Amino acid sequence: MKEQPHILVIDDEPQILRALRTILRERDFRVSTASRGEEGLALAAAEEPDLIVLDLSLPDIDGIEVCARLREWTQIPILVLSVRGAERDKVAALDKGADDYLTKPFGIEELLARIRVGLRHASHARGRPPVIISSGPLVIDLSTRTVSRDGEAVRLTPTEYRLLAFLAGHAGRVLTHDTILANVWGDEYHGHTEYLRVYVRQLRRKLEPDPEDPQLIQTEPGIGYRFVTQDA
Amino acid sequence: MRSFSSDRSPLLSVALGVLTVVATTAVLVAARPALHETLVPLIYLLPVGLSAGLWGLTAGVVAAFTAFMAFNYFFIEPLFTFSVHRTSDLTVLLVFFAVAIVISQLMGLAQSGLSAARAREREATRLFELSTALAGVHSEGEAAEVVARLTHQEFAAEGVEVPLEGGESGPSLVGREPPGWAAQPRPPIAVADLRTARRSWGSIRIWRGSSPLSVAEDRLLRTFASQGALAIERANLAASERRAQVLEESDRLKSALLSSVSHELRTPLATIKASASSLRSGAVGWDSAARQDLLAAIDEEADHLNRLVGNLLDMSRIESGALRPDRKWNSLAEIVQGALNGVRRPVGQHRFDIRLPKDLPPIEVDYFLMEQVFTNLLSNCVKYAPAGSTVHVAAEVVNADDVEVEVWNEGPTVPAEHLARIFDKFYRVTDADRVTGTGLGLSICKGIVEAHGGRIWAQNRPDGFAFHVRLPVSASGAAPPTPPAETDLP
Repeated sequence: MKEQPHILVIDDEPQILRALRTILRERDFRVSTASRGEEGLALAAAEEPDLIVLDLSLPDIDGIEVCARLREWTQIPILVLSVRGAERDKVAALDKGADDYLTKPFGIEELLARIRVGLRHASHARGRPPVIISSGPLVIDLSTRTVSRDGEAVRLTPTEYRLLAFLAGHAGRVLTHDTILANVWGDEYHGHTEYLRVYVRQLRRKLEPDPEDPQLIQTEPGIGYRFVTQDA
Repeated sequence: MRSFSSDRSPLLSVALGVLTVVATTAVLVAARPALHETLVPLIYLLPVGLSAGLWGLTAGVVAAFTAFMAFNYFFIEPLFTFSVHRTSDLTVLLVFFAVAIVISQLMGLAQSGLSAARAREREATRLFELSTALAGVHSEGEAAEVVARLTHQEFAAEGVEVPLEGGESGPSLVGREPPGWAAQPRPPIAVADLRTARRSWGSIRIWRGSSPLSVAEDRLLRTFASQGALAIERANLAASERRAQVLEESDRLKSALLSSVSHELRTPLATIKASASSLRSGAVGWDSAARQDLLAAIDEEADHLNRLVGNLLDMSRIESGALRPDRKWNSLAEIVQGALNGVRRPVGQHRFDIRLPKDLPPIEVDYFLMEQVFTNLLSNCVKYAPAGSTVHVAAEVVNADDVEVEVWNEGPTVPAEHLARIFDKFYRVTDADRVTGTGLGLSICKGIVEAHGGRIWAQNRPDGFAFHVRLPVSASGAAPPTPPAETDLP
């Protein structure tokens, strides 16, 4: 039998901890909880969970800071919880390496879906980064810098290719505008979201069956994009 | 300087008294042959009475003494000496002196009483003028101006300055007369404190030649100061009261908000509580439709509560002036998409028809605030639209620099008199009991749109009811940076 995935929940609200512990155990997860940032960091190091659910408002250290410190040594998927009105904190946490976010209050199915995406993405990410990324009919070969759809080569511009490779290399994660701009164009392109929109539009036209209803490169409104792998 | 007779220099009064006696003596000496000697002392009483009556008690007494000496010297044997030989002459002399002193005393007293009465009348007139002028003032600064102007008039000053000490009400004010008068390097000839029982409010400073204030002027200045201080204090208290009224107004707004909110919060809470407790009681069958209904009610009402709290948060940010849009280049399509994700849609009840032109330029707005605007507008449209109808969103560029978005439903129109007011806080077209909400959603939209330099209004359509939002494309007038074109890899 497959080992139960281990989830660490860091939140200072006892009611939220109680509810999440009950619900997640019911769904066959192992659950640890921490109500402070330092405690969460220590538990993350000691228990090496498979995924961390992190509330951004903590009593001792900022959730954004917790993200940054976790990312110094681990690629464990981090799912941040934020509240309305704290959108900028959410974006900052994603910039610091969080994988995904949920806005409180959330439905439990939504949380479970995000956890599943995070876990799947983490199991892919373990070990050496793949040379070939595939999603449904799409295959990206990083060694030859070629892209094909249904076996047919797709012609991309250099920037389109770099953008696609970056998005696909972080499949499942929410990538903020500025993260993508800094990695694909360079740090000095901070804030040039129009560059990104133009190229995402071009990529969708070349890759998506229906560019108006994208399945591969999904828009996270106001935040960035997420590359979604479709398991064949 | 307008002076009072009693204020004439005492030396001059005495000199005048002596002079009248000298003049009288000259006339009597000249007329001696024709005079009966008993007339002489009677005639000498004239200058004494005159001096006391015109120039005061001192002048009268000095005149009486001079007359006594002159009478003795010129008219009592032996002549041209101050000695007296006859007892009867001595009696005449002494009686004359006593009578002269008594007359001058009586005249002097009457005269000083009269001038005191005149001075008091004058003072009262000035005070009346001052209090009439001060009664009409509304601010401390105005009161200082009035005090400066009347002091300037009354004391024939070169310049008057009325500096006020800055209380908690702000920086200090200065009343000046004449208006451009600049304080001189030399010290003022008189300074009076503007003091009331509570505190000192400032002072009156007078510059005028070199003559100091007389006793009467000094008294008048003090009265001016105390009247002025009272007026300034009154103006200050009135200002505090106005501030208190503003606070009370905003307090009333808060209690209106609280009462609206607590009502709105209790309704979903009651539903959730009732549903959850009946599910826990075990009375509802595991597979029954009732169970599904209760669960759906809990879920929906929790969403409703969440929206209420969100609206309150937005409103408090707008009200506190903490709303600073973080303007970046955003796509309207993305904003509308994000907003649609946040709209409660009872499943299958409404369709959405989003028509945004492909070439719509990006707009420089705060994404999260703008998403809130469209979430609220779409929610509002859904709330009043008949089930099964469509909610539309369309946009176009107008005047080259603005984007106008129209959000409309196929619902009932709104009477024209409500159209302008539906963006007011707590304003409702329908009865509060029939539709839920805080009455804040649209005023939040207005606050956000206006913070972006845009405009929002409502309009009836032949087929429904529409909101219009017009936003400037760019905050700075600059165009967004766009990437250079590229060719495909081989």
